[in-house]
Amino acid sequence: MIHFYRVSKHYPGGQRALDEVTFQIERGEFAFLTGPSGAGKSTLLRLIFRQEIPTSGQILVNGRNVASLPRRKVPFLRRTMGVVFQDFRLIPRKTVFENVSYLPRVLGLDGQRQKRLAYETLRRVGLAHRMKAFPLELSGGEQQRVAIARALVNQPEILVADEPTGNLDPEMAREIFELFLEINRRGTTVLVATHDAHVIDRLDKRVLSLRAGRLQEDSSIPGATAARRMSGVIAAGARPLTPLPEAVGG
Amino acid sequence: MAVHRAFGYFFREAIVNLARSWKISAVAVSTIAVSLFIGGALLLLIGNLDRQVQEWRREAKVIVYLRPGVTPAAASGLQASLRQPRWVSGVASVSAEQARQRFERYFPSVAELVHGWGEEPLPASFEVAYDPERVEPRAFEAWVQSLRRAPQVGMVDDDRDWVSQLEGVLRVIGGIGLAVVVVLLVAAIFTIASVIRLTAYLYRDEIGVMRLVGATELFIRGPFYVEGLVQGILGGGIALLALYLGHLVMVPQVPRTWLAGVLTGSFLSLRDQLLIVTLGAAAGLVGAVASLRREAV
Repeated sequence: MIHFYRVSKHYPGGQRALDEVTFQIERGEFAFLTGPSGAGKSTLLRLIFRQEIPTSGQILVNGRNVASLPRRKVPFLRRTMGVVFQDFRLIPRKTVFENVSYLPRVLGLDGQRQKRLAYETLRRVGLAHRMKAFPLELSGGEQQRVAIARALVNQPEILVADEPTGNLDPEMAREIFELFLEINRRGTTVLVATHDAHVIDRLDKRVLSLRAGRLQEDSSIPGATAARRMSGVIAAGARPLTPLPEAVGG
Repeated sequence: MAVHRAFGYFFREAIVNLARSWKISAVAVSTIAVSLFIGGALLLLIGNLDRQVQEWRREAKVIVYLRPGVTPAAASGLQASLRQPRWVSGVASVSAEQARQRFERYFPSVAELVHGWGEEPLPASFEVAYDPERVEPRAFEAWVQSLRRAPQVGMVDDDRDWVSQLEGVLRVIGGIGLAVVVVLLVAAIFTIASVIRLTAYLYRDEIGVMRLVGATELFIRGPFYVEGLVQGILGGGIALLALYLGHLVMVPQVPRTWLAGVLTGSFLSLRDQLLIVTLGAAAGLVGAVASLRREAV
Protein backbone atom coordinates (compact mmCIF):
# COMPACT_ATOMS: atom_id res chain seq x y z
CA MET A 1 0.00 0.00 0.00
CA ILE A 2 2.84 2.40 0.92
CA HIS A 3 6.20 1.50 -0.48
CA PHE A 4 9.38 3.56 0.03
CA TYR A 5 12.46 2.46 -1.82
CA ARG A 6 15.74 4.21 -1.00
CA VAL A 7 13.99 7.54 -0.55
CA SER A 8 16.08 10.59 0.28
CA LYS A 9 15.02 14.15 0.78
CA HIS A 10 17.58 16.90 0.94
CA TYR A 11 16.66 20.53 1.39
CA PRO A 12 18.54 23.43 -0.13
CA GLY A 13 21.55 24.17 2.01
CA GLY A 14 22.42 20.50 2.30
CA GLN A 15 20.11 19.54 5.17
CA ARG A 16 19.25 15.85 4.90
CA ALA A 17 15.70 15.26 6.10
CA LEU A 18 15.59 11.64 4.91
CA ASP A 19 18.40 9.40 3.82
CA GLU A 20 17.90 6.19 1.84
CA VAL A 21 14.71 5.20 3.64
CA THR A 22 13.19 1.90 2.58
CA PHE A 23 10.09 0.25 4.02
CA GLN A 24 6.74 -1.17 3.00
CA ILE A 25 3.35 -0.93 4.68
CA GLU A 26 0.74 -3.45 3.60
CA ARG A 27 -2.94 -2.82 2.99
CA GLY A 28 -4.89 -2.76 6.27
CA GLU A 29 -1.79 -2.40 8.40
CA PHE A 30 -1.45 -0.03 11.39
CA ALA A 31 2.00 1.43 11.88
CA PHE A 32 3.61 4.06 14.06
CA LEU A 33 6.31 6.33 12.82
CA THR A 34 8.45 7.54 15.65
CA GLY A 35 11.68 9.27 16.40
CA PRO A 36 12.96 12.45 18.02
CA SER A 37 12.12 15.92 16.75
CA GLY A 38 13.87 16.57 13.47
CA ALA A 39 14.18 12.87 12.69
CA GLY A 40 12.22 13.31 9.45
CA LYS A 41 8.76 12.00 10.46
CA SER A 42 6.79 14.93 9.08
CA THR A 43 8.88 15.00 5.92
CA LEU A 44 8.18 11.33 5.35
CA LEU A 45 4.43 11.88 5.74
CA ARG A 46 4.50 14.93 3.46
CA LEU A 47 6.17 12.76 0.83
CA ILE A 48 3.30 10.29 1.04
CA PHE A 49 0.64 12.89 0.28
CA ARG A 50 2.93 14.66 -2.18
CA GLN A 51 3.38 17.90 -0.34
CA GLU A 52 7.07 17.27 -0.92
CA ILE A 53 8.93 15.51 -3.71
CA PRO A 54 11.84 13.20 -2.87
CA THR A 55 15.32 14.13 -3.98
CA SER A 56 15.89 10.51 -4.95
CA GLY A 57 14.23 7.13 -4.60
CA GLN A 58 10.75 5.91 -5.37
CA ILE A 59 7.50 6.09 -3.47
CA LEU A 60 4.51 3.97 -4.36
CA VAL A 61 1.19 4.76 -2.73
CA ASN A 62 -1.59 2.42 -3.65
CA GLY A 63 0.19 1.56 -6.88
CA ARG A 64 0.91 5.16 -7.91
CA ASN A 65 4.42 6.46 -8.25
CA VAL A 66 3.96 9.56 -6.15
CA ALA A 67 7.27 11.21 -7.03
CA SER A 68 6.54 11.29 -10.74
CA LEU A 69 2.84 12.04 -10.44
CA PRO A 70 1.91 15.07 -12.59
CA ARG A 71 0.90 18.05 -10.52
CA ARG A 72 -2.64 18.07 -11.88
CA LYS A 73 -3.14 14.51 -10.62
CA VAL A 74 -2.03 15.24 -7.06
CA PRO A 75 -5.57 16.18 -5.88
CA PHE A 76 -6.82 12.80 -7.06
CA LEU A 77 -4.08 11.02 -5.07
CA ARG A 78 -5.00 13.00 -1.98
CA ARG A 79 -8.64 12.04 -2.29
CA THR A 80 -7.63 8.43 -1.70
CA MET A 81 -6.09 9.28 1.66
CA GLY A 82 -7.03 11.15 4.79
CA VAL A 83 -4.54 13.39 6.53
CA VAL A 84 -4.69 14.50 10.17
CA PHE A 85 -2.39 17.07 11.77
CA GLN A 86 -1.41 18.04 15.28
CA ASP A 87 -2.91 21.52 14.79
CA PHE A 88 -6.16 20.13 13.31
CA ARG A 89 -6.13 22.56 10.35
CA LEU A 90 -9.85 23.16 10.34
CA ILE A 91 -11.36 26.16 8.58
CA PRO A 92 -12.48 28.38 11.46
CA ARG A 93 -15.13 30.33 9.54
CA LYS A 94 -16.89 27.16 8.45
CA THR A 95 -19.06 24.98 10.67
CA VAL A 96 -18.13 21.45 11.65
CA PHE A 97 -20.51 20.18 8.98
CA GLU A 98 -19.01 22.43 6.29
CA ASN A 99 -15.48 21.39 7.24
CA VAL A 100 -16.37 17.73 6.95
CA SER A 101 -18.49 18.07 3.80
CA TYR A 102 -15.85 20.03 1.91
CA LEU A 103 -14.43 17.02 0.07
CA PRO A 104 -17.86 15.64 -0.95
CA ARG A 105 -18.55 19.11 -2.32
CA VAL A 106 -15.25 19.10 -4.23
CA LEU A 107 -16.26 15.72 -5.62
CA GLY A 108 -19.48 17.23 -6.90
CA LEU A 109 -21.86 15.13 -4.82
CA ASP A 110 -25.35 16.55 -4.51
CA GLY A 111 -26.42 18.31 -1.35
CA GLN A 112 -28.28 15.32 0.08
CA ARG A 113 -25.32 12.98 -0.34
CA GLN A 114 -22.96 15.58 1.08
CA LYS A 115 -25.17 15.85 4.17
CA ARG A 116 -25.57 12.12 4.57
CA LEU A 117 -21.85 11.42 4.26
CA ALA A 118 -20.87 14.22 6.60
CA TYR A 119 -23.50 13.23 9.15
CA GLU A 120 -22.54 9.54 9.09
CA THR A 121 -18.85 10.35 9.45
CA LEU A 122 -19.46 12.79 12.28
CA ARG A 123 -21.62 10.17 14.00
CA ARG A 124 -18.75 7.73 13.65
CA VAL A 125 -16.42 10.07 15.55
CA GLY A 126 -19.17 10.92 18.06
CA LEU A 127 -19.76 14.52 16.99
CA ALA A 128 -23.03 14.42 15.06
CA HIS A 129 -24.57 16.67 17.70
CA ARG A 130 -21.98 19.42 17.07
CA MET A 131 -22.54 19.74 13.33
CA LYS A 132 -23.53 23.38 13.46
CA ALA A 133 -20.78 24.46 15.83
CA PHE A 134 -17.71 26.33 14.64
CA PRO A 135 -14.29 24.75 15.30
CA LEU A 136 -13.26 27.35 17.86
CA GLU A 137 -16.32 26.49 19.95
CA LEU A 138 -15.01 22.93 20.39
CA SER A 139 -12.42 21.42 22.72
CA GLY A 140 -9.07 20.30 21.32
CA GLY A 141 -10.15 16.65 21.34
CA GLU A 142 -13.38 17.50 19.56
CA GLN A 143 -11.53 19.56 16.96
CA GLN A 144 -9.20 16.63 16.31
CA ARG A 145 -12.18 14.33 15.92
CA VAL A 146 -13.64 16.76 13.37
CA ALA A 147 -10.30 16.68 11.54
CA ILE A 148 -10.44 12.87 11.59
CA ALA A 149 -14.01 12.96 10.30
CA ARG A 150 -12.89 15.22 7.46
CA ALA A 151 -10.08 12.77 6.70
CA LEU A 152 -12.49 9.82 6.72
CA VAL A 153 -15.43 11.29 4.87
CA ASN A 154 -14.34 9.95 1.51
CA GLN A 155 -13.64 6.50 2.98
CA PRO A 156 -9.92 6.70 2.23
CA GLU A 157 -7.73 3.67 1.84
CA ILE A 158 -4.95 5.30 3.84
CA LEU A 159 -5.07 7.51 6.90
CA VAL A 160 -1.93 9.48 7.67
CA ALA A 161 -1.64 11.37 10.96
CA ASP A 162 1.17 13.67 12.03
CA GLU A 163 1.40 13.94 15.82
CA PRO A 164 -2.40 13.87 16.09
CA THR A 165 -2.39 13.91 19.89
CA GLY A 166 0.45 16.37 20.40
CA ASN A 167 -1.93 19.09 21.58
CA LEU A 168 -4.26 16.85 23.60
CA ASP A 169 -4.35 15.66 27.19
CA PRO A 170 -3.79 11.90 27.82
CA GLU A 171 -7.49 11.07 28.07
CA MET A 172 -8.31 12.76 24.77
CA ALA A 173 -5.22 11.21 23.20
CA ARG A 174 -6.46 7.78 24.27
CA GLU A 175 -9.85 8.46 22.66
CA ILE A 176 -8.19 9.54 19.43
CA PHE A 177 -6.05 6.40 19.26
CA GLU A 178 -9.12 4.26 19.98
CA LEU A 179 -10.68 5.95 16.98
CA PHE A 180 -7.64 5.18 14.82
CA LEU A 181 -7.79 1.53 15.86
CA GLU A 182 -11.45 1.37 15.00
CA ILE A 183 -10.76 2.95 11.60
CA ASN A 184 -8.00 0.43 11.02
CA ARG A 185 -10.30 -2.46 11.97
CA ARG A 186 -12.58 -1.37 9.13
CA GLY A 187 -9.73 -1.92 6.70
CA THR A 188 -8.08 1.47 6.37
CA THR A 189 -4.29 1.49 6.39
CA VAL A 190 -3.15 3.79 9.20
CA LEU A 191 0.23 5.44 9.62
CA VAL A 192 0.62 7.65 12.68
CA ALA A 193 3.67 9.77 13.45
CA THR A 194 4.07 10.19 17.18
CA HIS A 195 6.70 10.22 19.87
CA ASP A 196 4.30 9.13 22.58
CA ALA A 197 6.21 6.03 23.73
CA HIS A 198 3.46 5.09 26.15
CA VAL A 199 0.88 4.79 23.38
CA ILE A 200 3.29 2.91 21.14
CA ASP A 201 4.01 0.38 23.85
CA ARG A 202 0.38 0.00 24.86
CA LEU A 203 -0.99 -0.58 21.37
CA ASP A 204 1.74 -3.00 20.34
CA LYS A 205 1.63 -2.17 16.62
CA ARG A 206 4.38 -2.02 14.05
CA VAL A 207 6.86 0.78 14.70
CA LEU A 208 9.09 2.51 12.17
CA SER A 209 11.71 4.49 13.97
CA LEU A 210 13.59 7.34 12.35
CA ARG A 211 16.73 9.05 13.57
CA ALA A 212 18.50 11.80 11.72
CA GLY A 213 16.62 10.93 8.56
CA ARG A 214 17.51 7.25 8.57
CA LEU A 215 15.21 4.35 9.31
CA GLN A 216 16.81 2.81 12.37
CA GLU A 217 14.20 0.30 13.39
CA ASP A 218 11.31 -1.55 11.86
CA SER A 219 9.54 -3.56 14.53
CA SER A 220 8.06 -5.84 11.89
CA ILE A 221 11.44 -7.48 11.82
CA PRO A 222 11.11 -10.37 14.29
CA GLY A 223 12.59 -9.55 17.67
CA ALA A 224 13.05 -5.89 17.04
CA THR A 225 10.23 -4.74 19.34
CA ALA A 226 11.38 -7.02 22.09
CA ALA A 227 14.92 -5.79 21.72
CA ARG A 228 13.70 -2.18 21.90
CA ARG A 229 11.61 -2.90 24.97
CA MET A 230 14.30 -4.75 26.77
CA SER A 231 17.22 -2.48 26.16
CA GLY A 232 15.60 0.82 25.30
CA VAL A 233 18.13 1.03 22.56
CA ILE A 234 16.92 1.39 19.01
CA ALA A 235 17.63 -1.73 17.06
CA ALA A 236 19.47 -1.22 13.83
CA GLY A 237 18.57 -2.32 10.33
CA ALA A 238 15.42 -2.24 8.24
CA ARG A 239 13.48 -5.03 6.69
CA PRO A 240 15.12 -5.92 3.37
CA LEU A 241 12.96 -5.16 0.37
CA THR A 242 12.87 -6.31 -3.17
CA PRO A 243 13.98 -3.33 -5.29
CA LEU A 244 11.29 -1.71 -7.42
CA PRO A 245 11.46 -1.99 -11.16
CA GLU A 246 13.09 1.04 -12.77
CA ALA A 247 9.95 2.44 -14.32
CA VAL A 248 6.81 2.39 -12.26
CA GLY A 249 3.71 3.93 -13.75
CA GLY A 250 1.67 6.48 -11.84
CA MET B 1 -18.23 17.97 -10.52
CA ALA B 2 -21.48 19.15 -11.99
CA VAL B 3 -20.78 22.51 -13.57
CA HIS B 4 -23.82 24.25 -12.13
CA ARG B 5 -22.98 23.08 -8.63
CA ALA B 6 -19.39 24.25 -9.03
CA PHE B 7 -20.53 27.68 -10.23
CA GLY B 8 -23.06 27.89 -7.44
CA TYR B 9 -20.28 27.19 -4.97
CA PHE B 10 -17.87 29.64 -6.65
CA PHE B 11 -20.51 32.34 -6.62
CA ARG B 12 -21.46 31.82 -2.95
CA GLU B 13 -17.82 31.82 -1.89
CA ALA B 14 -17.12 34.92 -4.00
CA ILE B 15 -19.98 36.78 -2.34
CA VAL B 16 -18.72 35.73 1.09
CA ASN B 17 -15.21 36.95 0.16
CA LEU B 18 -16.61 40.25 -1.10
CA ALA B 19 -18.67 40.74 2.02
CA ARG B 20 -15.76 39.79 4.25
CA SER B 21 -13.35 42.25 2.66
CA TRP B 22 -15.89 44.75 1.38
CA LYS B 23 -13.74 47.81 2.01
CA ILE B 24 -10.89 46.78 -0.26
CA SER B 25 -13.38 45.31 -2.71
CA ALA B 26 -15.11 48.70 -2.83
CA VAL B 27 -11.80 50.28 -3.83
CA ALA B 28 -11.45 47.82 -6.72
CA VAL B 29 -15.06 48.32 -7.83
CA SER B 30 -14.68 52.11 -7.63
CA THR B 31 -11.51 52.05 -9.72
CA ILE B 32 -13.23 50.08 -12.44
CA ALA B 33 -16.35 52.25 -12.20
CA VAL B 34 -14.34 55.49 -12.57
CA SER B 35 -12.40 54.10 -15.54
CA LEU B 36 -15.52 52.94 -17.30
CA PHE B 37 -17.44 56.11 -16.43
CA ILE B 38 -14.78 58.19 -18.17
CA GLY B 39 -14.68 55.74 -21.05
CA GLY B 40 -18.46 55.70 -21.26
CA ALA B 41 -18.68 59.51 -21.18
CA LEU B 42 -16.22 59.69 -24.06
CA LEU B 43 -18.16 57.05 -25.93
CA LEU B 44 -21.36 59.01 -25.39
CA LEU B 45 -19.75 62.24 -26.55
CA ILE B 46 -18.02 60.75 -29.56
CA GLY B 47 -21.10 58.71 -30.46
CA ASN B 48 -23.32 61.79 -30.53
CA LEU B 49 -20.76 63.87 -32.41
CA ASP B 50 -20.25 61.07 -34.88
CA ARG B 51 -23.98 60.78 -35.48
CA GLN B 52 -24.08 64.53 -36.17
CA VAL B 53 -21.12 64.35 -38.53
CA GLN B 54 -22.70 61.47 -40.40
CA GLU B 55 -25.87 63.54 -40.65
CA TRP B 56 -23.81 66.38 -42.09
CA ARG B 57 -22.13 64.00 -44.48
CA ARG B 58 -25.54 62.84 -45.70
CA GLU B 59 -26.61 66.47 -46.14
CA ALA B 60 -23.32 67.62 -47.67
CA LYS B 61 -23.56 69.79 -50.77
CA VAL B 62 -21.28 71.22 -53.38
CA ILE B 63 -21.67 75.00 -53.57
CA VAL B 64 -20.72 76.49 -56.90
CA TYR B 65 -20.19 80.29 -56.66
CA LEU B 66 -20.56 82.20 -59.89
CA ARG B 67 -18.15 84.84 -61.07
CA PRO B 68 -19.52 88.41 -61.01
CA GLY B 69 -21.08 89.37 -64.31
CA VAL B 70 -21.97 85.90 -65.54
CA THR B 71 -24.87 86.21 -67.94
CA PRO B 72 -28.18 84.51 -67.13
CA ALA B 73 -27.75 82.29 -70.19
CA ALA B 74 -24.31 81.13 -69.08
CA ALA B 75 -25.67 80.51 -65.57
CA SER B 76 -28.56 78.46 -66.98
CA GLY B 77 -26.15 76.46 -69.08
CA LEU B 78 -24.04 75.74 -66.01
CA GLN B 79 -27.13 74.80 -63.99
CA ALA B 80 -28.17 72.35 -66.69
CA SER B 81 -24.72 70.75 -66.76
CA LEU B 82 -24.72 70.45 -62.97
CA ARG B 83 -27.72 68.12 -63.18
CA GLN B 84 -25.90 65.64 -65.41
CA PRO B 85 -23.95 63.37 -63.01
CA ARG B 86 -25.95 60.39 -61.68
CA TRP B 87 -25.23 61.27 -58.04
CA VAL B 88 -26.76 64.76 -58.24
CA SER B 89 -30.17 64.78 -56.60
CA GLY B 90 -30.99 68.45 -56.97
CA VAL B 91 -29.63 71.88 -57.89
CA ALA B 92 -30.91 74.97 -56.09
CA SER B 93 -30.16 78.42 -57.36
CA VAL B 94 -29.29 81.11 -54.78
CA SER B 95 -29.22 84.62 -56.17
CA ALA B 96 -26.80 87.25 -54.87
CA GLU B 97 -29.71 88.98 -53.12
CA GLN B 98 -30.85 85.76 -51.45
CA ALA B 99 -27.26 85.12 -50.34
CA ARG B 100 -27.13 88.52 -48.66
CA GLN B 101 -30.48 88.00 -46.95
CA ARG B 102 -29.38 84.61 -45.70
CA PHE B 103 -26.17 86.13 -44.28
CA GLU B 104 -28.19 88.81 -42.49
CA ARG B 105 -30.48 86.13 -41.03
CA TYR B 106 -27.72 83.80 -39.87
CA PHE B 107 -25.30 86.43 -38.60
CA PRO B 108 -27.43 89.36 -37.43
CA SER B 109 -24.69 90.79 -35.20
CA VAL B 110 -22.39 91.35 -38.17
CA ALA B 111 -25.11 92.10 -40.72
CA GLU B 112 -23.59 95.55 -41.33
CA LEU B 113 -20.77 93.87 -43.19
CA VAL B 114 -23.03 93.31 -46.18
CA HIS B 115 -24.64 96.76 -46.06
CA GLY B 116 -23.53 99.88 -47.89
CA TRP B 117 -22.01 98.24 -50.90
CA GLY B 118 -23.00 99.65 -54.26
CA GLU B 119 -23.81 96.25 -55.60
CA GLU B 120 -24.62 92.88 -54.03
CA PRO B 121 -21.49 91.91 -52.04
CA LEU B 122 -22.03 88.16 -52.12
CA PRO B 123 -21.95 86.09 -55.29
CA ALA B 124 -24.85 84.09 -56.66
CA SER B 125 -24.43 80.34 -56.38
CA PHE B 126 -25.82 76.89 -57.14
CA GLU B 127 -26.24 74.47 -54.25
CA VAL B 128 -25.81 70.97 -55.62
CA ALA B 129 -27.29 68.22 -53.44
CA TYR B 130 -26.11 64.69 -54.08
CA ASP B 131 -26.78 61.18 -52.92
CA PRO B 132 -23.66 59.87 -51.08
CA GLU B 133 -24.74 56.30 -51.88
CA ARG B 134 -24.39 56.96 -55.61
CA VAL B 135 -21.11 58.82 -55.44
CA GLU B 136 -18.13 57.24 -57.18
CA PRO B 137 -15.25 58.94 -55.31
CA ARG B 138 -12.77 59.37 -58.16
CA ALA B 139 -15.38 60.49 -60.70
CA PHE B 140 -16.87 62.83 -58.11
CA GLU B 141 -13.49 64.38 -57.38
CA ALA B 142 -12.81 64.84 -61.12
CA TRP B 143 -16.22 66.46 -61.52
CA VAL B 144 -15.51 68.93 -58.67
CA GLN B 145 -12.15 69.79 -60.24
CA SER B 146 -13.77 70.36 -63.63
CA LEU B 147 -16.27 72.73 -61.99
CA ARG B 148 -13.38 74.69 -60.47
CA ARG B 149 -11.96 75.16 -63.97
CA ALA B 150 -15.26 76.26 -65.56
CA PRO B 151 -15.17 79.90 -66.82
CA GLN B 152 -18.48 80.87 -65.13
CA VAL B 153 -17.31 79.59 -61.72
CA GLY B 154 -15.48 81.77 -59.21
CA MET B 155 -15.16 79.22 -56.39
CA VAL B 156 -16.36 75.74 -55.42
CA ASP B 157 -17.00 74.66 -51.82
CA ASP B 158 -17.18 70.93 -51.27
CA ASP B 159 -18.77 70.20 -47.84
CA ARG B 160 -16.99 66.86 -47.80
CA ASP B 161 -13.72 68.69 -47.14
CA TRP B 162 -14.67 70.06 -43.76
CA VAL B 163 -16.75 66.99 -42.86
CA SER B 164 -13.63 64.88 -43.48
CA GLN B 165 -11.59 67.27 -41.33
CA LEU B 166 -14.16 66.97 -38.58
CA GLU B 167 -14.07 63.20 -38.84
CA GLY B 168 -10.29 63.38 -38.50
CA VAL B 169 -10.65 65.45 -35.34
CA LEU B 170 -13.16 62.95 -34.01
CA ARG B 171 -10.75 60.09 -34.71
CA VAL B 172 -8.00 61.90 -32.79
CA ILE B 173 -10.36 62.54 -29.83
CA GLY B 174 -11.44 58.89 -30.00
CA GLY B 175 -7.82 57.71 -30.04
CA ILE B 176 -6.88 59.87 -27.05
CA GLY B 177 -10.00 58.72 -25.24
CA LEU B 178 -9.20 55.09 -25.98
CA ALA B 179 -5.66 55.54 -24.68
CA VAL B 180 -6.95 57.16 -21.48
CA VAL B 181 -9.48 54.38 -20.98
CA VAL B 182 -6.86 51.68 -21.59
CA VAL B 183 -4.53 53.28 -19.02
CA LEU B 184 -7.36 53.56 -16.52
CA LEU B 185 -8.48 49.99 -17.16
CA VAL B 186 -4.95 48.68 -16.70
CA ALA B 187 -4.83 50.56 -13.40
CA ALA B 188 -8.17 48.99 -12.48
CA ILE B 189 -6.87 45.53 -13.40
CA PHE B 190 -3.86 46.04 -11.15
CA THR B 191 -6.12 47.20 -8.33
CA ILE B 192 -8.37 44.15 -8.70
CA ALA B 193 -5.33 41.88 -8.91
CA SER B 194 -3.95 43.35 -5.69
CA VAL B 195 -7.27 43.05 -3.91
CA ILE B 196 -7.69 39.41 -4.93
CA ARG B 197 -4.10 38.59 -4.07
CA LEU B 198 -4.70 40.10 -0.66
CA THR B 199 -7.90 38.10 -0.22
CA ALA B 200 -6.08 34.92 -1.28
CA TYR B 201 -3.38 35.75 1.27
CA LEU B 202 -6.01 36.12 3.98
CA TYR B 203 -7.32 32.67 3.05
CA ARG B 204 -3.93 31.00 2.60
CA ASP B 205 -4.43 28.60 5.51
CA GLU B 206 -7.81 27.55 4.15
CA ILE B 207 -6.35 27.14 0.71
CA GLY B 208 -3.68 24.87 2.18
CA VAL B 209 -6.38 22.75 3.78
CA MET B 210 -8.34 22.63 0.52
CA ARG B 211 -5.29 21.35 -1.31
CA LEU B 212 -4.66 18.73 1.36
CA VAL B 213 -8.12 17.24 1.08
CA GLY B 214 -7.81 16.98 -2.69
CA ALA B 215 -9.39 20.11 -4.15
CA THR B 216 -8.25 20.86 -7.68
CA GLU B 217 -6.65 24.21 -8.52
CA LEU B 218 -9.75 25.25 -10.46
CA PHE B 219 -11.92 24.51 -7.45
CA ILE B 220 -9.61 26.57 -5.22
CA ARG B 221 -9.22 29.47 -7.63
CA GLY B 222 -12.77 29.46 -9.01
CA PRO B 223 -14.24 31.63 -6.22
CA PHE B 224 -11.46 34.20 -6.74
CA TYR B 225 -12.11 34.30 -10.48
CA VAL B 226 -15.80 34.83 -9.84
CA GLU B 227 -14.94 37.49 -7.25
CA GLY B 228 -12.97 39.42 -9.89
CA LEU B 229 -15.77 38.95 -12.39
CA VAL B 230 -18.38 40.22 -9.92
CA GLN B 231 -16.22 43.23 -9.04
CA GLY B 232 -15.82 44.04 -12.73
CA ILE B 233 -19.53 43.68 -13.49
CA LEU B 234 -20.38 45.81 -10.45
CA GLY B 235 -17.89 48.46 -11.58
CA GLY B 236 -19.31 48.44 -15.11
CA GLY B 237 -22.88 48.54 -13.80
CA ILE B 238 -22.15 51.46 -11.48
CA ALA B 239 -20.43 53.36 -14.31
CA LEU B 240 -23.42 52.77 -16.56
CA LEU B 241 -25.89 53.83 -13.89
CA ALA B 242 -23.89 56.98 -13.17
CA LEU B 243 -23.75 57.79 -16.88
CA TYR B 244 -27.47 57.25 -17.26
CA LEU B 245 -28.35 59.36 -14.24
CA GLY B 246 -25.87 62.03 -15.32
CA HIS B 247 -27.40 62.10 -18.78
CA LEU B 248 -30.91 62.19 -17.35
CA VAL B 249 -30.11 65.09 -15.03
CA MET B 250 -27.98 67.00 -17.52
CA VAL B 251 -30.29 66.97 -20.53
CA PRO B 252 -33.02 69.28 -19.17
CA GLN B 253 -30.44 71.66 -17.71
CA VAL B 254 -28.23 72.33 -20.69
CA PRO B 255 -29.03 75.47 -22.65
CA ARG B 256 -30.89 74.80 -25.86
CA THR B 257 -27.90 75.42 -28.03
CA TRP B 258 -26.86 73.45 -31.05
CA LEU B 259 -23.68 72.11 -29.39
CA ALA B 260 -25.47 71.14 -26.18
CA GLY B 261 -28.04 69.36 -28.27
CA VAL B 262 -25.35 67.41 -30.05
CA LEU B 263 -23.49 66.46 -26.86
CA THR B 264 -26.53 65.37 -24.91
CA GLY B 265 -28.32 63.89 -27.91
CA SER B 266 -29.09 60.27 -27.24
CA PHE B 267 -27.85 57.87 -24.55
CA LEU B 268 -25.51 54.97 -25.28
CA SER B 269 -26.86 52.26 -27.52
CA LEU B 270 -27.58 48.85 -26.01
CA ARG B 271 -24.45 47.56 -27.71
CA ASP B 272 -22.32 50.26 -26.04
CA GLN B 273 -23.95 49.62 -22.67
CA LEU B 274 -23.14 45.92 -22.98
CA LEU B 275 -19.62 46.85 -24.04
CA ILE B 276 -19.08 48.83 -20.83
CA VAL B 277 -20.31 46.01 -18.58
CA THR B 278 -18.36 43.43 -20.60
CA LEU B 279 -15.19 45.52 -20.35
CA GLY B 280 -15.70 45.70 -16.58
CA ALA B 281 -16.22 41.95 -16.35
CA ALA B 282 -13.17 41.29 -18.53
CA ALA B 283 -11.01 43.65 -16.46
CA GLY B 284 -12.14 41.90 -13.28
CA LEU B 285 -11.48 38.45 -14.66
CA VAL B 286 -8.09 39.41 -16.10
CA GLY B 287 -7.15 40.96 -12.74
CA ALA B 288 -8.15 37.79 -10.91
CA VAL B 289 -6.36 35.47 -13.31
CA ALA B 290 -3.25 37.66 -13.25
CA SER B 291 -3.21 37.78 -9.46
CA LEU B 292 -3.41 33.99 -9.14
CA ARG B 293 -1.22 33.14 -12.11
CA ARG B 294 1.90 32.61 -10.10
CA GLU B 295 2.17 30.70 -6.86
CA ALA B 296 0.25 33.42 -5.09
CA VAL B 297 -2.09 30.94 -3.46
